[in-house]
Amino acid sequence: MDSQMMTGNLAAAWGARLADVDYIPAFPITPQTEIVEALAKWCERGEVAATFVSMDSEHSMMTAAGAAEVTGARVFTATSSQGLLHAFEVLYSISGWRAPLVLVNVSRALAAPITLESDHNDVLAARDAGFLQIHAETCQEVLDSILMAYRIAEDERVMLPVIVNLDGFTLSFTREPVSLPDPDMVRRFLPPFRPSHLGFAASSPHALGVAVIGGTSYAYFRHQMHLAAQNALEVHREAADSFHALFGRRYDLVEGYRLEDADDVLVMTNAGASKGKAAVDAARAQGKRGGLLRLRVIRPWPAEAIREALRDRRAVAVLDQNLAPGQGGILYQEVAACLYHEARRPRALCSFIGGLGGQNLSEGEFQAIFEQTAEAGVAGRGLGPVLLYSAEEHREMTHLQMVATGNA
Amino acid sequence: MVAVRFHGRGGQGAKTASRILGTAAFLSGYVAQDSPIYGAERRGAPVAAFTRFSREPIRERGAITYPDVIVVADASLLDDATARVVDGMDDQTVLFVNSSLSTDALRAHLSLPEQMTVRDVTGIALQQLGQREAISALLGAVAARLVGLEWESVRLAITRELQDLAVTAPVIEKNLTVAKQCYDSSGPASLHKGRSQAISVAALHRPIYEPPTKGTARISAAGNSVLRETGGWRTFRPVLFADKCNGCWLCFAYCPDGVIAMNQEDRPVVDYAHCKGCQICVHECPTHALVAEREAEGGVAWTAK
Repeated sequence: MDSQMMTGNLAAAWGARLADVDYIPAFPITPQTEIVEALAKWCERGEVAATFVSMDSEHSMMTAAGAAEVTGARVFTATSSQGLLHAFEVLYSISGWRAPLVLVNVSRALAAPITLESDHNDVLAARDAGFLQIHAETCQEVLDSILMAYRIAEDERVMLPVIVNLDGFTLSFTREPVSLPDPDMVRRFLPPFRPSHLGFAASSPHALGVAVIGGTSYAYFRHQMHLAAQNALEVHREAADSFHALFGRRYDLVEGYRLEDADDVLVMTNAGASKGKAAVDAARAQGKRGGLLRLRVIRPWPAEAIREALRDRRAVAVLDQNLAPGQGGILYQEVAACLYHEARRPRALCSFIGGLGGQNLSEGEFQAIFEQTAEAGVAGRGLGPVLLYSAEEHREMTHLQMVATGNA
Repeated sequence: MVAVRFHGRGGQGAKTASRILGTAAFLSGYVAQDSPIYGAERRGAPVAAFTRFSREPIRERGAITYPDVIVVADASLLDDATARVVDGMDDQTVLFVNSSLSTDALRAHLSLPEQMTVRDVTGIALQQLGQREAISALLGAVAARLVGLEWESVRLAITRELQDLAVTAPVIEKNLTVAKQCYDSSGPASLHKGRSQAISVAALHRPIYEPPTKGTARISAAGNSVLRETGGWRTFRPVLFADKCNGCWLCFAYCPDGVIAMNQEDRPVVDYAHCKGCQICVHECPTHALVAEREAEGGVAWTAK
């Protein structure tokens, strides 16, 4: 296996290439464009045997992706932010068709005000769409997660589409060494797509996504989607074992960092978790026993793994890089819900909101998080949502407001 | 609480009748509630509508499972199991059927309750209003009489609901005249209020995962629409005068439901079990070989299975 420097976007394109996809409908959007550009180039050169089609919008793109998938083709596509939301209604159709395609989302904060940099309100808006979700921390994990995503999605026990998420800029445009798996070994890991309920033959027509009135049938099919997503917990474990055996890298539903003896645990997702790990190291250097839990699979929600990792801790801080106005952090709510029935739950559960729209998460802010979380643990009382905003950011914002109003 | 369920076919006015009753009850000082239920809107397809009224706040919503009164706007629905007209009906239920047939004829193949009235409201509408389907005011008036509401409330209710449908004042006046006749020719029914249906704890089934071939909203049995007989939706049927037919196949080509087959002599054969009576074939036939004939109620040409 040879490593090479590549961006998260290029790693995503390599994931699709190695998965030997058949069809790629595409529509560009910053910061995703490099993914479809790379695939377009490879398709044109014949290095990838897929059919590449430029669409007129993300809505058309997702519709084409789902339609192709139900013919039995292996489909890859990618989008970001406003594009994901533009395609939103189609997401629910695709999962309802039980069409196991893989969609890469390059996280970018939502307008308005418009911006280009990352937070997770886009991908988490799709958390109830029936797509499974894998959130990656590194460029290597982006590539590997796409391969795992196809294997899990196409399993007869699951048959649901998957979103693989990577952070815009901090991962999409960031180069780091990525090891390219051997194509023959990928073929061993990912067998050809042979769905029993999908396919296209004029001699055996079938209708998908048919109308059901009255609720009885509808509820049955929605229950099936939930059970399928729950099955993905076990199917993910099998895929992780197999991937580890073949490629030597292991990805579980959640990743623990220095958790063994940790008093206080910081919960994060995506590329920002790298900085969280550095903050854990910094805290430990000061004699504080901190740890980090990175949620990698968001759907299905790995409740048992989270409970196990957070049991008996003094305090837990969930750092949400998203904000549900009027509610707070999205992942905080879900972590809190799955700890409710845990008798040995942490003494305090704290909610922090940071990194919105690419907002910097400074070392000092991580220190403040660990400090406040430790105090909350001692007091036995959670806090938040704390809206992270440094005094320096406030000064800068005040200046910009003066410029905007002409009072500078 | 009084619960009245209306059954009709799309276009007959069952929903409006239930609104007339709801408004009449409201104007009489009751707490009232009315709602319709139907699939994708189609003329001729079975629809149902529900009216509840009470002196107390109504804690129910949606379909009425155990009605005090059932009003049937089209007797052919009694034979259509998918219309579920007889669901929740017992010997205390008050039944009204719009039909030209006799009570005995309707009872011949169905067990129907003691308090049953049959009246040819469609006949009255045709005769006095000149329209076959303008029966919402008439059905509303009959239902209101059965449950004992005063005419003045019914009159106001009919006026309001028909105004809402942009019916002109002279037509509303005509409707009121005929509705009053229908109202006067019935008597209040004896309602057995406060019936208590024995409710037992539901036996819950725990859903288990099934393979995607079963667990996906997918139909792979091609051509199963033949199982759903829609002949009862017709009010008129296309009839062929073979000597006029030139064998052009246009009827075959235009039929939106594919219920016209061509025989070896190039003559259309209509599948009356599925023909919905849209008359497109009659309209398109260049030689007027296909003619629309009114369906005779209780005819034997079509019987739902």
